[in-house]
Amino acid sequence: MPTQRLFDRINSVHLQQVTKQYGEHVAVKQLDLEIQGGELLILIGPSGSGKTTTLRMINRLIEPDEGVITINDHNIMDFDPVRLRRNIGYVIQDIGLFPHMTIRENIGLVPRLEGWSGQEISDRVRHLLDFVSLSPESFMDRYPRQLSGGQQQRIGLARALAMDPPLLLMDEPFGALDPILRKQLQDEFNIIKQEIGRTILFVTHDIDEAFKLGDRIGIMSDARLIQIGTPEELILHPENELVSDIVDAKKKFKHMDTLRVKDMMSPITDTYLFDAGMTAQDAVKRMTQTNVELAIVLDNSVPVGYVEMAHLVQQIYYDVTLRDIVEPIPIFSSNDHIASALEKLKDRGGSLGLVMEAERPSGLFFLNDVLLRLI
Amino acid sequence: MVIFSVITDATVEHIILAYSALFVSIVIAIPLAFASLYSTRLASIVIKFANLAQAVPSFAVVAIVVPLIGIGFTPAVIAIMLRALLPIIKNTYIGLSNIDPLFIEYAKGIGLTDWQINRYIRIPNAYPAMFAGIKFAAILANSIAILTAIIGSGGLGELVFEGLIAFNTDKILAGALPAIILAFFIDVSFSILERILTPVYLKS
Repeated sequence: MPTQRLFDRINSVHLQQVTKQYGEHVAVKQLDLEIQGGELLILIGPSGSGKTTTLRMINRLIEPDEGVITINDHNIMDFDPVRLRRNIGYVIQDIGLFPHMTIRENIGLVPRLEGWSGQEISDRVRHLLDFVSLSPESFMDRYPRQLSGGQQQRIGLARALAMDPPLLLMDEPFGALDPILRKQLQDEFNIIKQEIGRTILFVTHDIDEAFKLGDRIGIMSDARLIQIGTPEELILHPENELVSDIVDAKKKFKHMDTLRVKDMMSPITDTYLFDAGMTAQDAVKRMTQTNVELAIVLDNSVPVGYVEMAHLVQQIYYDVTLRDIVEPIPIFSSNDHIASALEKLKDRGGSLGLVMEAERPSGLFFLNDVLLRLI
Repeated sequence: MVIFSVITDATVEHIILAYSALFVSIVIAIPLAFASLYSTRLASIVIKFANLAQAVPSFAVVAIVVPLIGIGFTPAVIAIMLRALLPIIKNTYIGLSNIDPLFIEYAKGIGLTDWQINRYIRIPNAYPAMFAGIKFAAILANSIAILTAIIGSGGLGELVFEGLIAFNTDKILAGALPAIILAFFIDVSFSILERILTPVYLKS
């Protein structure tokens, strides 16, 4: 029997004086926290600060010892836990795709338990795969281990959205990915976030990620919430040393004119370098094996541009080489000034540049990343 | 010369003996393995007993049944079962419990009930191990069903023992050869079944 929808939209999720203890160890202490409807609230803090415990108390994977948690003013302890969880999307760092199920079965598991028909499930899976920029035809019937880390993480998100839950809990969803892939997925997620327009609680330990994605950021330390506010509030009015350390408030004083491209780039290895003569199909295969989703294309060792996994997968059924589909990329020297590099990027309307050092590609230069670090 | 119908009758008897013991073992072992999942005490008893019983020679198991239950077909089934039960329990338990707790936790987090976690996550992951246990148990049952002739189970073992006592090579072969062929047949048929039943994701 289909589970009833508990709420169509979230007005607020409220934690009041919530405490969780494991023996002597206090995981969360007298926490007061409000997640407002429609916002993306980040919880950040060192490991062991209680952020994951907080998140898992909301879907009752952990039950508080003291205090009350309400969603739209209903105490969550009054709901059946299974029903509550089916109304809340859940994404975790390790993704947790079931290895014995295809992508369709993974995404469709809860809908199936809810009694959806096969056709309804397939339609929903297709829609969600499109939504996370994976082509349904090439992915629906594959198994998780045939996918790269980035693709798996996208599936993890699609699966969490299967029942169209009004509330999403995301526990370090990009934590296991390498830095460049993480940035790509963050950018994508930022776009998706607007479209899905739902309430999200997001746990991370990466302050750049917090600034990039969060509407508000809550800083936790030693089982307590230290300060909560918008990124600007935290940077301009940090409550104490700890907060200013975490948000690195000093960086607003960094002098932009002393910085060079190499200070701000994300270094790349040979894994990211693909030959222009490679077919799209081989490129996808290699990306999946090496767990990258973006590659610099070299023609006779000269960089001619870049390709992204999301575009490549649409090309694998055509007989094309990277030379045919490569996107141009502006090239910088590692000693260029940040200011001039930003200007050049702005003129080109791009958000990504390639950094060369001694005739070799040495790094990638992300516009968003640079802006964030400069604040 | 041994009459052909004697061999076929003995073979049928042997198959009935071995497979009814195997069937009873499966029926008992799988629920017991499941129960062990929910009780660490039961699990440790079951696994310890399984390891111990595997160390006891098959012939000793057959012999010990006689003072306890007597002789005949049923005691023979019980003797075979005692040996066949354990690989199935052990493998099923290992298959069911060897799953990454992360998957169980996540399944719970998206709203699966305990029963659904078993049905959709644990059991499919345990198939290969369960199957390996049953295959091993089938081979064991086939070989012990020869030994049990000594406690009056009938079957191919009876021909073998009679042949041995009478120095009748024809009779020994009449019992031993079908048993060897059966063993081959079990191994091959289970290997084929295994290939068919192995989940696609485990095939390379």
